[in-house]
Amino acid sequence: MSERVVVTLTLNGGRRTFEVAPGRRLLDLIREDAGLTGTKEGCAAGECGACVVLLDGAPVTSCLVLAASADGHDVVTVEGLQQSGSLHPFQEALVAQGGVQCGFCTPGLAVTGAAALAYGPGTADERARLLAGNLCRCTGYVKVLEALESASGEKADRAST
Amino acid sequence: MLRRERAHVEEAPGRGPLGGHHERPDARAKVSGSTRYVADLALPGMLHAAVAVAPVASARVSGLDLASARAVDGVEAVLTAADIPGRNLVGVIFEDQPLLAREKVRMVGERLALVAARTPEAAWAAAHLVHADLEPLPAVHDPVQALEPDAPRVHDAGNLIRTFRVVRGDTARARASVVVEAEYRVGGQEHAYLEPQGCLAIPEGRQRITIVASCQCPFYVQHAVARVLGLPLAAVRVEQAPTGGGFGGKEDYPSEPAACAAVLAFATARPVRFVLPRELDMQVSSKRHAMVIRHRWGADRSGHLRFAEVETVLDAGAYIGISTVVAERANVSSIGPYHVPAVRVSTRVAYTNNLFGGAFRGFGTPQVTWAAEATMDRLARACSLDPLEFRRRNLLDDRRRRLCTGQSLRRPVLARECLERAVALAGWDEFHARPRRQEGPMREGMGIGLALYGCNLHHGGQHLDRSSAVVILQPDGSVVVRVGLTEMGQGNLAACQTIAAQALGVEPAHVQVWQPDTTTVGDSGPTVASRGAHASGMAILNAVDRLRKKLDPVAAELLECGERDVELAGGFARVRTDPDHRVPIARLAGEMASRRIEGISTGWYRSRKRRFDPVTGLGDPYEFYAVACHIARVVVDAELGLVRVTEVSAAHDVGKVIHRDVLEGQIQGGIVQGTGWGTSEELKLDRGRLCNPSFTDYIIPTAADVPSIRIAVVESEGPGGPFGAKGIGEPSLIPTAAAVRNAVVEALGLEIDRLPLTPPTIVEALGNRHPFAWVAEEERVRGRSEEVAAGR
Repeated sequence: MSERVVVTLTLNGGRRTFEVAPGRRLLDLIREDAGLTGTKEGCAAGECGACVVLLDGAPVTSCLVLAASADGHDVVTVEGLQQSGSLHPFQEALVAQGGVQCGFCTPGLAVTGAAALAYGPGTADERARLLAGNLCRCTGYVKVLEALESASGEKADRAST
Repeated sequence: MLRRERAHVEEAPGRGPLGGHHERPDARAKVSGSTRYVADLALPGMLHAAVAVAPVASARVSGLDLASARAVDGVEAVLTAADIPGRNLVGVIFEDQPLLAREKVRMVGERLALVAARTPEAAWAAAHLVHADLEPLPAVHDPVQALEPDAPRVHDAGNLIRTFRVVRGDTARARASVVVEAEYRVGGQEHAYLEPQGCLAIPEGRQRITIVASCQCPFYVQHAVARVLGLPLAAVRVEQAPTGGGFGGKEDYPSEPAACAAVLAFATARPVRFVLPRELDMQVSSKRHAMVIRHRWGADRSGHLRFAEVETVLDAGAYIGISTVVAERANVSSIGPYHVPAVRVSTRVAYTNNLFGGAFRGFGTPQVTWAAEATMDRLARACSLDPLEFRRRNLLDDRRRRLCTGQSLRRPVLARECLERAVALAGWDEFHARPRRQEGPMREGMGIGLALYGCNLHHGGQHLDRSSAVVILQPDGSVVVRVGLTEMGQGNLAACQTIAAQALGVEPAHVQVWQPDTTTVGDSGPTVASRGAHASGMAILNAVDRLRKKLDPVAAELLECGERDVELAGGFARVRTDPDHRVPIARLAGEMASRRIEGISTGWYRSRKRRFDPVTGLGDPYEFYAVACHIARVVVDAELGLVRVTEVSAAHDVGKVIHRDVLEGQIQGGIVQGTGWGTSEELKLDRGRLCNPSFTDYIIPTAADVPSIRIAVVESEGPGGPFGAKGIGEPSLIPTAAAVRNAVVEALGLEIDRLPLTPPTIVEALGNRHPFAWVAEEERVRGRSEEVAAGR
C-alpha cells in the first residue's frame, strides 16, 4: 500500500510533479495535493459534473480519472480559466446573467462551458446537450444557458471583427 | 453589470437598487472557484468522521462489535450511544430520535456508531467493519396500513402521530349535483442539492465548540449540538458555511451530522470534519413526504364548488422530525385558492419504517396542490366545462376572499390576475382553438396548476417567526450587515444587500452581508417558508431606522437642516426639499467615526400575532399569502410513456420585486425542480431501503430537459414584507407538477393519479389503450399456460 507513483503534469499552465498512491484520483491530486479546491466533489461517480476539469482541452470528470493516468498531460481547473486576472468570458457571462446560485456546481459548469465555447457557438440544443453532464439543482439552467449563448455570441462577434 | 447598476443609479437618482438586477455579491467568488464550502476547509490535526448505519428497516440491536473497526490503521475513536456526553437525542420538535441507536433500529440508515480517523478512507473502512447483531422485527412501509390496528408499531405509543383538521360548514348537507372522488398517491422527492451534507467541528477543550456547517438553520444546529454535548447555548457557536443548495434538505437534517461531529470532536479533542458521501447522503437524509390523498369534491350545475372533503395520510417515516409541521401546512393548503362553502379536511401523520420525511421546498403544499388541481380538472370535465372556465368561476378574488380556514385574505387578491396572465403567456386559447397535432404516438396537452401559499411560518410555529440583524456603518461609508437567515443559493445575500442599500441610499456594492453566525445575531428562527428576504429584510429595516437616530443629527448639522429633512439616496445624505444640497455618506460616516458616535445598530422583527384554532383548523394560519399560476405544455410519447415538458408559463403574485435576477432564478429553478418531481424523480423503496441513491438512477433534470419558461411578475401594493415583497422560493415550485399532470391527462385523455409520471406509470395508466397492450396480454396468457404446464 505504501507504493507511490510519480506524476508530472501541466497544471493550469505550470509544470508540477506529485508523488501519489497508485489509486489516487485526479480530483484528490487537484484538491488536496495541489490545494486547488475550486474543483468540487458532488458524487464521486462521474454523474454530477461538479469535478469537471479539462484534460488536454477536453472536459472530464476528475473523480473518475486516476491521477497517475494524467502523467504527461495538460490539466486545467476552474482556477486556470482566468487569464491574467480576468474571468473567462463564460464566467463573466454567468455573473452578468445571474447564472450563479448556490455555486457548488458552478466551477464544473464554467469549465464545461469554456470547453463548449472552444468547440464553437453551436445551436441552442447543442449547447444544452453539452451542459447536460453538469447537474445544477438551483438555477433550472435557464440563465446558465443564456450566459453560454451570450458568451458564444460575444466570441462570434469578436471572431467576425 | 456593475456598470449597468451605476448607470441605473445616475439615471434615476433616489430610486435605488430595489427591483434591479445588479451583480449578486456572491457570484464572482463562486464562479471563480474561490468560495470555500465545508469540504474545502481543513485544519492541522483535523480528523474525518464516518458513521456506521443499519442496513435494515426494523430490528432489535442485540450487540455491537467494534473491535475490527478500532483496529483499522488511522482510527482515533469509535463511539456508541454510551459515549455521548449530553443527551442521546436529535429531533427538532419531538424527542423520539436518538443520535445513536441503543436497542432498536426503526429505519435503514439508523446510526449505530461513529468513527473518527486521520483519513476519510480509514474512517469509512472502519465504519463498514462495525458489526451489529440485528434481530429482524416486523416492519410497516405503507402509511395507510400503518394506521390499521394490527400494524407493527414503530414506536410504543402507536403509529398515529397526529391528526390535523379543517372543518367549516357542513359538507354532508352541501347541495352538489356533480361529485367526483379520487385517491391520489403522491411520491416523495430527494433534494439532490449538489453539495452533500457536511460540517466541521472545532472544540475548545470541553468548554465550548465552533461548528461550521452547510445548513439552512444555524440555530437548529446550535440547539442540537448543545443538547448532545450538555453545553449551554452560548458555548456553541455555529457559523453557516457557504451552502451548496438546501431546498429544505438542510433545514432539520444538518443537526444530525453536526451532532455526530461534535461528539467526536469532544471525544478526540481534535477538529473533526464530516462530509457525507453522496450515496449515503441520499440513503439517510430526509425526503419530501409521500402522501396518500383522498378527495370527494362537489359542484353545482352552474360549475361552482359546493363542498370539498380531503383525507390525507402523510408518511412521516420512522421519526417525526418536522413532519407535523409539514402536515400543518399541507392541511390548511388542501383546497387551493378556491372559494368553497363547506370544507372537511383531515390530515393524519403516520409513522412507518421508511426514510423519514422532512422539509422540502413547498413544505407539504406541492402534494396537496397536485391533488387539488387534479380534482379541479376532474370536476371541470364532469361539469362539461373547460378547466380554465371552471377555475374562473371558483377562484378567490377581492369579493370572495375567504380561505377554507375562514380567514379573509387581505386585498388585492390576485388569483384571477395570475391565471389570466399565465393564460395569455401560454396562448391557451390559440392552443385549444387549433386541432391537436398527432404525429405517430406523440400527443400534445396543456394544463393549469394554481397554488395559494401562506408566506412565512404557520400559526403553530409563530414563536420562531422573529429575526435579528446588525448593521454597522464603517468609517469609510461602507456597510456591514449581519442577519440570522442564511444564503443557500436562493439569493438571500443579494436580497439583504439590496434592502440595506435601498434603505441607506448607497450602492449595493458598498454593502457587505456576511454569512450568519450564532454569536453575532439573535436567534432568528429557520431559513424556511420563503421567509428569508422577508424576515431578514424587516430586521435590517428596523436596524437602519435605529442607525438613523444617530446618523441623522450629524447629517442635519452638516447640511444645516432639520433632522426630519434628511434623506439618504444615491450615495448622499441630502435635504429632502433641496436634493442638490447634499453630503456624501462616506463623509458623514467619517464624521461620525471622528466624533466617536456609535455606528452600529441592531434590528428586530416579529410577525403579527394571529388567531387560529388548531382543533377546528379555523382562523388565520398565515399572515399573508402569495398566489401562483403555472401552465404547462407537454408532448407525451404514448408508446414509450415519456413526458416532455416543452413550455411552462408562470405568473407570480410577488408583492414587490427586490432583485430581478434572483426572483427569476427562483422561478426558473422552482419550475425545473417541480418538473423533475412530477415526471422523473422517483424514490424507489424496497422494504424501506432506497434502491436508487445515485444521480444515474434517481433522475433529476439536466440542461437538455429544460422547458421554455415564460414569466409574468404581478406586483401590487398589498400586504407583504420589506417594501411590500412576498416570498418566492416555494411558490415557484408548488404548482408546476400539477400543471404538468393536467397537461398529460389532457394529452392522453385519461386520469393519472400517481406521481411521478414516469414511463411505467403512464404505460400502466394507458392499459388496454397502449398500442402494445397486446404484448403484455400475450405474455400474461403465456405465463398462465406455463404455470399450468409446470403443474402450479
